Amino acid sequence: MKSKSLAVLAVTALAVTGLAGCAQKSNDSGGSTPAAGGTGGSGAGEVRVYIGADTNIKDLWEKSVKPGFEKANPGTTLKIDFDDHEEHGTQNLAKLTAAEKSGNDAGWDLMDGGIVLQAADAGVLEQVTKDQVKGLADVPEDTLKAGGKGGIPYRGSSVLLAYNPKLVASPPATYDDLMAWIKANPGKFTYNSPKSGGSGGAFVTTVLDKNLPADTAKTLRTTYDKNLLTQWKPGWDALRALNPYVYQKGVYPTGNKGSIELLANGQIAMTPVWSDMFISGQKSGTIPKDMKATQIANPSFTGGAAYLGIPAHAKNKANAIKLADYLLSAEAQNMIAKDIAGYPVIPLSKLPQETQATFKDAHPENLRAGYFDKVNKDRDLAWDQEVPGK
Amino acid sequence: MSAAATRRTAWRGFFLALPPVAFIALFAGMPIVLAFLFTLGYGGGLNEITALIGQDVYLADGPPGTVEPYRVVFASGRFREDLIVTILVTIVSTLIVITVALAIALFLRLRGGRIANLLTILTIVPMFIPVVISAYALRTFYSDIGFLPTLFAQVGATGPAFAYSVPGLVIGSVWTNLPFAVLMISSGVAAVPDSVIDAARDSGAGLLRTTGSVILPMAMVPIVIATTFTAIGIIGSFTIPYFLGRNSQTMLGVDIASYFIAFNRPQQAIVMAFVVFALASLIAATYVWANFRQAKEADQV
Repeated sequence: MKSKSLAVLAVTALAVTGLAGCAQKSNDSGGSTPAAGGTGGSGAGEVRVYIGADTNIKDLWEKSVKPGFEKANPGTTLKIDFDDHEEHGTQNLAKLTAAEKSGNDAGWDLMDGGIVLQAADAGVLEQVTKDQVKGLADVPEDTLKAGGKGGIPYRGSSVLLAYNPKLVASPPATYDDLMAWIKANPGKFTYNSPKSGGSGGAFVTTVLDKNLPADTAKTLRTTYDKNLLTQWKPGWDALRALNPYVYQKGVYPTGNKGSIELLANGQIAMTPVWSDMFISGQKSGTIPKDMKATQIANPSFTGGAAYLGIPAHAKNKANAIKLADYLLSAEAQNMIAKDIAGYPVIPLSKLPQETQATFKDAHPENLRAGYFDKVNKDRDLAWDQEVPGK
Repeated sequence: MSAAATRRTAWRGFFLALPPVAFIALFAGMPIVLAFLFTLGYGGGLNEITALIGQDVYLADGPPGTVEPYRVVFASGRFREDLIVTILVTIVSTLIVITVALAIALFLRLRGGRIANLLTILTIVPMFIPVVISAYALRTFYSDIGFLPTLFAQVGATGPAFAYSVPGLVIGSVWTNLPFAVLMISSGVAAVPDSVIDAARDSGAGLLRTTGSVILPMAMVPIVIATTFTAIGIIGSFTIPYFLGRNSQTMLGVDIASYFIAFNRPQQAIVMAFVVFALASLIAATYVWANFRQAKEADQV
């Protein structure tokens, strides 16, 4: 009996000292690792790109951007590190930030993904100038500002209202029409929870904006000011008031695809969708061909740009800047428009006639931007607490 | 055994246990300690990056730390509601799982035959289907255009749609956890010797008496193991509530993921994880207690 408890005590003691030892050791190695990779190496001929996105973005990079860039810059190879749906976004962001804070190369020269804005906010990205990336001169000022410290906007998309023409003869044309339609047709509309996808997020932002003073709404596009967020209250009331009229009296599906699925099955008649997902979904067959999409007015649904980021200590920074410059050229912007139905961020007038015709109704230049990234996180959290089940 | 020999055995046992203990301390213990310190506002060292990236991170200046993260989480009505749903789903699902598993095991033990065997095999099938697939299938099956509403519609009635509801969470949890409980309990019940059951019957005990006074007590340990493992599995489940739950009134597994990824609030996510951890520890404690009692009865301690 006695020996047993002694052994238990000893094991516990060892476990504790073992722990302390580990903690000590890892602290040491964290501080003293020499700059791995560093400045040396034969990195002159390559640029390593991180992509945290859906497969359509991967295809864009692999099939169009890579061949185009390598042709324009002979001797430079573009290497892709793809994170499907950015599932490891949090870990990758931690890896990037940790490397940058200790002045090391994180393994990527250019980043394309949702974590870029968080990285910009953490201050670990190179702040490129309009001289380095010439296309930036043509990008609207607010889109640039929303990128924070070092986000480079390179493509856009907006949220549209998708509807089933069999169930809706004439879709609502304005915000007020849409609200009236939802209340007149209970159970036939829903949007995905904003935390799970941007199309539901754009709907929420639009309702919040409608109930906000214009200057507050404008500020939230470029700054994270917690004090302003209390002004969302009337917006939450408006969203809560929709609960009884939404699909199954308050079911908000998960993910952009969740609401599209309900629409495709005929369970609902209308839902917000991303413009590029709608177009590519109809091409691949996940969205029935007879579905339609339209934009509402006054206000319209928000959209936004996707941002590139160059880590401040990237090994091949010069090549990364070249690549960013290439992506904002008319040639690459045209690829984005053709391959993934993405909105160009430079003026349409600089693109071929054919592309101009495709986008003449979408008005990408009038894109109503979404909130600043950190504001979006607060919006998603607040929605979760204020709207469903209330 | 002499005192010296006892001590030698103890040391040998200690060294035998050393590799796994060291392994657990390094790969599970240290991250847990770090995470716990983070919830108390310690944002230095290995927590530095998480503290830098996260929003609404509360940091303390020094020991003993701050309980602000815990206060914020518990002050949220959403968290309290989901905590109740989580506990409720866990209790109800576990009760159903154990009752069904026990009924099947007794049926197999006392009656046997082809039907009993078939039933057992059927209940084990979910074990071979990945949870993601079955959760998705359950959602489709129980949706408002699923099987039940379609069936009821044939006679002009409205059938229930369990997808996106708390009953849906219970159905999903039972579905995924039944196989393990059936395997565990039926093997425990099968281990009760025929002679004991026959003896009980010879002394005039009926079915209820035989079950209550002979089979259940003898199969107690497997039943307790099945109960605790089922409950711990359900309390921390993610996939079933992610697919079958609503946005509000869902389980903490989904909340933890949302807070960690979508809301960028790692500290609050970890606080919730520790709440689930504490609840699971309570369940585990009953398991340890049952094992200990069993060993004591058998005079092994």
